[in-house]
Amino acid sequence: MDLVLQLLFTGIGIGAVYALVALGFVLIFRATNVVNFAQGEFSMVAAYLMVVFAVDLGWPYWLSFLLALAGMALLGVIFNLGVYYPLRHRTFLPVIIATIGASILMANSVLAIYGPQPQVLQGWFETPGIQLGPVYLDSQYLLIIAVTVVMVIFNYWFFEHTMLGKKLQATSQDKEMASLLGISVSTMIMITFIYSAVLGGLAGILVAPVLFVSIQMGSTIALKAFAATIIGGFGDVAGAIIGGLALGVIETFGAAYISVPYKDGFAFLVLVLFLIFRPQGIFGERVAEKA
Amino acid sequence: MSAPSDNMTMAAAPRSRPLLLRHLPYFIAAAILVALAATMRFDGYILNVLMQATTFAIAVFGLSVVLGLCGQINLAQAAFFGFGAYAVGIGTTDLHLSYWLCLVAGCVMALGAGAFLGMSTLRLGGHYLAMVTISFQQIVTLVMINAIGLTHGPDGVSNIGRPDLFQTGQGYLAFCVAVLAIVGYGVWHLPDTRLGRAMRAVRDNELAAGVSGIDVFRTKVYAFALCAALGGLAGGLFAGGFAYVSPDQFSFAESIVFLTMSLLGGVASPIGSAIGTGLLILIPEWLRFLKSIPGLYLAIYGLFVILIIRYMPDGIWGFIGAALDRWRSRIKAPAAVAPLLLKPATIGGDIVLEVKGLSKYFGGLKAVDGVDIQVKRGGVHALIGPNGSGKTTTLNVLSGLYKATSGKVLLDGTDITTMPPHQRTAAGLGRTFQNIRLFRSMTALENVEIGAERPGNTLIGQGGPAALTERAMEALTFVGLGSRANELISSFSYGHQRLIEIARALAANPTLLLLDEPAAGLNSTEKLELHELLKRIAAQGLTILIIDHDMTLVSEAAQHITVLNFGRRIADGESMAVLRHPDVVSAYLGSE
Amino acid sequence: MKVTRRDFAAGLAVGITAPYLISNARAQAATIKIGMCAPVTGPAAESGGYAIKGAKLALEAVNKAGGILGKQAELIIEDDQTTNPGIVLAFSKLAAQSDIVAFLGSIRSTQVHAMAPDVLKLGKPVMIGGTDPNLTHMGNQWLFRFRPNDSYSGRVIADYGVNTLGKKKWAVLHSTDAFGTAGGKALTSALEKLGAPPVLDQGYANQSQDFTPVVLAIKQSGADILGSYFTFENDLGIFARQLRQLGVNIPWVGSPSIVNITALKLAGPALYGTYGVADYAEDSSEGSKAFGKAYRDVVKVAPDNQSSWPYDAVTVLAAAINKAGSIDPTKIREAILAIKKFPGAEGEYNFDQNGDGLHGYNIVKNDKGNIVFDKHIEFND
Repeated sequence: MDLVLQLLFTGIGIGAVYALVALGFVLIFRATNVVNFAQGEFSMVAAYLMVVFAVDLGWPYWLSFLLALAGMALLGVIFNLGVYYPLRHRTFLPVIIATIGASILMANSVLAIYGPQPQVLQGWFETPGIQLGPVYLDSQYLLIIAVTVVMVIFNYWFFEHTMLGKKLQATSQDKEMASLLGISVSTMIMITFIYSAVLGGLAGILVAPVLFVSIQMGSTIALKAFAATIIGGFGDVAGAIIGGLALGVIETFGAAYISVPYKDGFAFLVLVLFLIFRPQGIFGERVAEKA
Repeated sequence: MSAPSDNMTMAAAPRSRPLLLRHLPYFIAAAILVALAATMRFDGYILNVLMQATTFAIAVFGLSVVLGLCGQINLAQAAFFGFGAYAVGIGTTDLHLSYWLCLVAGCVMALGAGAFLGMSTLRLGGHYLAMVTISFQQIVTLVMINAIGLTHGPDGVSNIGRPDLFQTGQGYLAFCVAVLAIVGYGVWHLPDTRLGRAMRAVRDNELAAGVSGIDVFRTKVYAFALCAALGGLAGGLFAGGFAYVSPDQFSFAESIVFLTMSLLGGVASPIGSAIGTGLLILIPEWLRFLKSIPGLYLAIYGLFVILIIRYMPDGIWGFIGAALDRWRSRIKAPAAVAPLLLKPATIGGDIVLEVKGLSKYFGGLKAVDGVDIQVKRGGVHALIGPNGSGKTTTLNVLSGLYKATSGKVLLDGTDITTMPPHQRTAAGLGRTFQNIRLFRSMTALENVEIGAERPGNTLIGQGGPAALTERAMEALTFVGLGSRANELISSFSYGHQRLIEIARALAANPTLLLLDEPAAGLNSTEKLELHELLKRIAAQGLTILIIDHDMTLVSEAAQHITVLNFGRRIADGESMAVLRHPDVVSAYLGSE
Repeated sequence: MKVTRRDFAAGLAVGITAPYLISNARAQAATIKIGMCAPVTGPAAESGGYAIKGAKLALEAVNKAGGILGKQAELIIEDDQTTNPGIVLAFSKLAAQSDIVAFLGSIRSTQVHAMAPDVLKLGKPVMIGGTDPNLTHMGNQWLFRFRPNDSYSGRVIADYGVNTLGKKKWAVLHSTDAFGTAGGKALTSALEKLGAPPVLDQGYANQSQDFTPVVLAIKQSGADILGSYFTFENDLGIFARQLRQLGVNIPWVGSPSIVNITALKLAGPALYGTYGVADYAEDSSEGSKAFGKAYRDVVKVAPDNQSSWPYDAVTVLAAAINKAGSIDPTKIREAILAIKKFPGAEGEYNFDQNGDGLHGYNIVKNDKGNIVFDKHIEFND
């Protein structure tokens, strides 16, 4: 039982990271109908920004945190203008490929600037964790879970109860209609990219103390987050969160009870099974094309 | 439907001798390349680069089929490549099998895996396919690494054999170049085969492809399986060439490299694939002077991917090819020899289309609710009703784009209620769309040829290319666009595009023609021409079921009218009587 | 500025052709050339940098002492991109230069496997650092190893744990890549020979983000000592922290990565008190100390095995060629195989007929972040 609880905690912690990144995916997908293959690199870049501010320059943690998120907002703008916007009238395929190109560009630019050695980023808290009966709770994972909960609530409030959120909703559902209503579609898409870059960055900063800061950290998380998005039902915010958490738990238990080396395979296996037997995901709507 | 894959292989067979003769320069050039590969003195480095380029190009050809021709994404080509490579690797070393057997086995395994993957997911959209192929790729990589008993794990397989005939490096390279030339020829001509046309049609417009008689799903699966098989073939050749394979050569990153090669050169053509492959193997080699800063050249590589997509959407070859296309479109089409013949099949009785109690519900919304329609053979039957009355839904249920909630549809005595669109077309249904759905990357002639190719069309003989072109030209001439047959769709006016869509349906020699608001968006002259056209069609005995708002057109052209409102039939009968029916008048003008 | 498609195409054309022109302009010089495949890019680019520095350090010393056969020696470096296809291309590029007399291959066994067929074809000596025992036992006479192979590391870990620390219930943890699998196997079989078969033999995939299931498995197995083969430092770091967090404090003897600089930096206190086998330990011999000093003076970081083996490879190679008095590959080969009691940075080289130069390992201890030499265990078979 102790074992199960410990695994459950870790699984939820890892899953919360997937969920945060998956949230960024879903937002961009809903706004632009494009899967952003560079979402994971947002996390990686943010973690490196933290290293620059908090470690190299030695600035206070909270200031570095805010600056890193601001940097991510800027990156979101650049990404939108450089990668998505010029291709907005093309089919999804060129856009997907451009985002793949962007991901290669970002990962290797960081490599060129910072070198390949993994970096250490301290966690938010001094204490590494607490022992709660038989279960050890890593403080950073606790923080990640808490932030994920907060972000889910914020997300709900933002999209359902603010004007900007409603405008974003309207844009993602029907661009033509939105522009007829006087909503600037390109501004809304810009905001979406900023928001999802910040979300991805947040995930990266939070997970960095646990996984260390490395060039590959983003792509590994992003692939899982992808899978989470599909399992949850593409385009569904709640689905992405549940999908992420489920994936983290499945993976951890799969590793513990079935096979450690095939750990990464479980996520994809679950994904393929979902696609074959329940392609609409847990919460998703119908996926067939309309006439 | 006859197996289209047969046709594909036929293209390269000596069946069409004049074609082969015309392409003699290609074969001479290929033979020279093979000879050069065999005889020129290369050092080991050049040999390795060439070997890599040659084998990779074959895998990229696969992508040009699935992505370029059929418009489906495949992010697991490296995994299929790995199937072939490991088949040859494990087969020739551990199992001591013949190289040739292993090569074939690798292709078959890749083909099977590709077909399975395709069948399980190709009904879904592009993003899902992207995801599934990535997952498949990851799982294959994990198995390669961890199934040590089978794959030797991360150590990889070394000392892989080659066929006795091609033991030397250069001999083997020459063999690979020869395979490349043959596969390249096949891929080059694929677009002109039935399967190739079907793939292009699916890429351009899936719905239109379906109602033109193409089995969309099967076409996608074929494209995907073919792509996978070419990946397997390339992998098998690669394994023989390098004598060593290990899992990291077949990772997701390599799949991306394949994809980029395909895009850089131009996804639509094997020439583009070859260019892209060559450049992406050579560029990183040349850019090694940037190596002093790790990551720099890959960063530049990523930047280039973005720039190419942005500025060269059709790749390098597409960029060059655009000029050639402009030149090609000026060639005048051969005039039609004979007037178009329409010979609608008459198997059933007096009634061509019998609709009984047809319903279509969307959740709680009853878009069509228990509608009966009887369309008599010959003449024009109109289906009218105010906006939202369920007309277009009815048409979509009739042509199979929607599944009926209940009811029965009989076409010429055959029950087509549960058939998918392409089977209905094969059974004799033809249709056009309110918002025109043509294959935009093709010429008018090619569009109509796809229509003419309908399985079950008795007027095209054996279905050879000449017969198809003739039939298509007849149809285009019939609608008055014969002289512009070789122009791309984009150069036609809206009204003309509508005529091409009708010609596409007519070329199939349907038993019943469904026209969805053919007059929408036409000016008055065009409407008159349309009316004339309908008369000429009806004069040949083809039955037309038309939906339109234009009362003048409907009242003049149709002998029989069915009126829908709120998904129910409110009137049915001879035109003039129906139009005076009080319910109809109030439905249109509003009552109370 | 607005970039048109035409501009872009023109730019592309120039970009593609330019490097050709540049590379053709390079001049040739009369030196003795040694080729080196090193990861300049890719995941191992960091250690690749150390390897190049180690080799260059030796090269300088060789040239100062009069060079090779009276000529200055030169190092030609090609990037192997840390991948197998990368090293095949890099090696074939070097092999194409007929004036290169010998080569330095990779520290990664799988890369050596990848290049091995080409090495055999070329028939020139290649110095390697890959520790998969098979590399020198598969009939390829041109591979010469400058690190002790994994059969020794496994035996040393087992010997130290069982005989010195007195522990018999082993948990063996290894990466599922080539290095980890071979190491795990060697350790397991050595333990079996010592009559202490492991109670847990666990593989893991590289770049795992979480080791909780692994740690719990170790906890449950009741093991009282842990032997490990980690490939990547970030995996090692994550594991080490989780191991300590979940309260596992049994002795731990690891493969060389446990004492490398990056791992120490990442894992910090979680690795205090652990043991590692190290082919290079600064205090293990006079040769090691000398190399350590020279390396610190130039590179300003602590030396490790990434830099010590290329250093030895270049030194030994130069000595062998000078002794052979010829650049004939067969003569160089014989001269290398004849080298006995040659003091190097890694230890004392005594080449056997397989091409293995070293036959033992050092055990070092992580004493609060400082790596201290504990003992050297040498085998004579």
